[in-house]
Amino acid sequence: MVNAPSPGQRVGWGVKLLGWTCVLFGLLLFSGGAWLIALGGSWYYGLAGLGLFASGVLLNRGRMTGLWLYLIVWGGTMAWAWWESGSDWWAQVPRMLSPTIILLLMLTCIPALSRAERARG
Amino acid sequence: MIRALLLPALLCAPLTLPAGPGHAEGSADDDVRPAAMPVNVGADWPYYGGGDLSQRFSPLSQITPDNVAGLERAFVYHTGDLPPGETAGKYAPETTPLKIGDSLVLCSAMNILISIDAASGEENWRYDPQVPREAIPYGATCRGVAAYADPDRAEGEACKMRVIGTTLDARLIAVDFATGAPCTDFGRGGQVDLWEGIGEKIPAFYAVTAAPTVVRGVIVTGAQVKDGQAEDAPSGVVRGFDAVTGALAWAWDLAAPEEMRNGPPAGKTYTRGTPNMWTTAAADQARGIVYLPLGNSAVDYYGSNRSEAENTYATSLVALDATTGEELWHFQTVRRDLWDYDLGSQPTLLDYMGQPAVLLPSKQGDLFILNRETGAPLSPVGELTDLPQGEIEPGFVADSQPVSLWATLRKPPLTEKRMWGFTPLDQLYCRIRFRQAVYEGYLTPPSTENYIQYPGYIGGSDWGSVAVDPTRGLLIANYNDIPNLNRLVPRAEADAEGMRPPDARSGGRGQPQVGAPYGAKTNAGWRSGLTDLPCSQPPYGGITAIDLQSGEPVWDVPLGTARRSGPFGIPSRLPFEIGTPNNGGAVVTASGLIFIGAAADNLFRAIDTETGETLWTDALPAGGQANPITYEVDGKQYVLISAGGHHAMETGTSDAIIAYRLPD
Repeated sequence: MVNAPSPGQRVGWGVKLLGWTCVLFGLLLFSGGAWLIALGGSWYYGLAGLGLFASGVLLNRGRMTGLWLYLIVWGGTMAWAWWESGSDWWAQVPRMLSPTIILLLMLTCIPALSRAERARG
Repeated sequence: MIRALLLPALLCAPLTLPAGPGHAEGSADDDVRPAAMPVNVGADWPYYGGGDLSQRFSPLSQITPDNVAGLERAFVYHTGDLPPGETAGKYAPETTPLKIGDSLVLCSAMNILISIDAASGEENWRYDPQVPREAIPYGATCRGVAAYADPDRAEGEACKMRVIGTTLDARLIAVDFATGAPCTDFGRGGQVDLWEGIGEKIPAFYAVTAAPTVVRGVIVTGAQVKDGQAEDAPSGVVRGFDAVTGALAWAWDLAAPEEMRNGPPAGKTYTRGTPNMWTTAAADQARGIVYLPLGNSAVDYYGSNRSEAENTYATSLVALDATTGEELWHFQTVRRDLWDYDLGSQPTLLDYMGQPAVLLPSKQGDLFILNRETGAPLSPVGELTDLPQGEIEPGFVADSQPVSLWATLRKPPLTEKRMWGFTPLDQLYCRIRFRQAVYEGYLTPPSTENYIQYPGYIGGSDWGSVAVDPTRGLLIANYNDIPNLNRLVPRAEADAEGMRPPDARSGGRGQPQVGAPYGAKTNAGWRSGLTDLPCSQPPYGGITAIDLQSGEPVWDVPLGTARRSGPFGIPSRLPFEIGTPNNGGAVVTASGLIFIGAAADNLFRAIDTETGETLWTDALPAGGQANPITYEVDGKQYVLISAGGHHAMETGTSDAIIAYRLPD
């Protein structure tokens, strides 16, 4: 993700790809999560979807706050996952695996986001 | 004389039997016809369940927890019975051979009887009963055969020792153990047609897939009747045939036992649609009692128009006098079964608290121990009350059910957080489906909405049954832990979808339950529509050792690695135990080993009986969905499994029978 932004663009395609992925999955999680809440189920998915969506929007705008927000979402996810299933690692596959992969991808965006923040002054 | 010395020793030592070749698992009285096989489990494996107690226990001890890591393939035998084009995807051989003398005898998926050399795997003979392809019911399965030694025939005479096979097109076959030649004095030219008295012959509707049981010279068999087709289905009658002549010894028709005892009167059939016995019966050779694990009525998920007789006997263990076919007692495990909790496991005989006992596993997971002579429970049985009644037929659904207070393989009810997936998204999908489904815990009655049945209909314990290690006082049970997502389909919708029972010209489609106001749809294992992964989290199956005295688990571990599992059917190759669905039982040895395939990872494994730790594995060419055996030839212990695979378990197809032994 260390692609240089072209003139007139705050972040490169790598960050944008991640950003739009977060927006899309955030929307799906939020809408499905709202449905689950309506059915009397867990609130996690709705809230996490909202956080993921917002992180994606901020990432697309080259905002480091997108990363900070996602760190909160990820931390909350880990805490919730542990609360629900503890050390049952197979049960943690859907809860911990892909959110952590997204975290790692976001961390690789730090240089690009820093440049974007600097460019913004 | 030896018997007279042995018997008191056995009686004084409940749960402990002398280990070592030469000791009987059980023993017969002298004043009656002898046991079906004058051979004990040890060097031989003379019965489907090992010895005549069906404990799946061998006194052999050459292969031990210390040396099992060195186990090698001794031979791989190919039956040659592989599915041609149109039957591909319908094979599940599930075969367990017998070993007597120097030979193994077995049946292939399409019921070819085969004898092979037990040390080399070389074929001695084969007899092909020419079963037509259209006879294949749910799957081409032949779990085993029985052997019988005719006491009135001289040693060396043809058919002195005979192999009794069953077929998918419902025949009993008797061939000579040494040559495979038909025993011409048995039935007509060595065959008995089990369609007699059943009614209109509709291929695949009525098929025998289980090994028969021979007790006091009587072959006892039921048949598999295709589930959920129609109330007007072939009868569940269980019949006994003379093992020498093939003549009907008795018939037990639960709805008309007296009228049908010697076969139906002219112009009539055995009572149709009654609960059947599709699995293998257990027998007390000494007492002359046969124990029939019965399934449910022909229509599984609707019950209001079942007869009183069906309501009395469905999903019960029934003890019959093996000579007369008269009922001695019955024990019902589910009242008014609406969950297809057929008793699929072969029961196991043992001595328990100083009494002759029969151990009964079940699909709902409960394990019961009953007195063999009276049926009185020896393990505590409780009562679940105020059960949900549902909206379909609240007047029919039982409001209380028996439950084992001694031991069960059933896990706590499902909750939303036990929904699973590969990512939060597909997990969310399953959580929504969970919240949408009708679920009031164990024994939620059927509904026209999606409803959850947990445990699902593959168990708990299925046909693989359980094993008992009498030297350690342990019960070894592998089990499934997966829900079904089911739905009743109103008749108009079922018709619109083309659900129909099979007829003489064509096979059926779906589970129309003709005669009831609803058809049924069952999603076994509750696969997610998104990824094909199960909606519930692993483990989906495990194996446990239960202390026979206390009923407490000594250990309980997942069975099966994730190597062949993954989203969209892609194998993950992960070598970690996830606990897969499993089908097929275990064999336990006196040396403290459990051998089992069963899991969907296609591994055959040796497990330490004391700890549950896997000590050795071998990757099979297809799933080991068959009960393994162990035996001895020329002082060498062998372990053998049929690696035939299973269509519904998605574990491939193979015709390999694989034997293992330690290197010289």
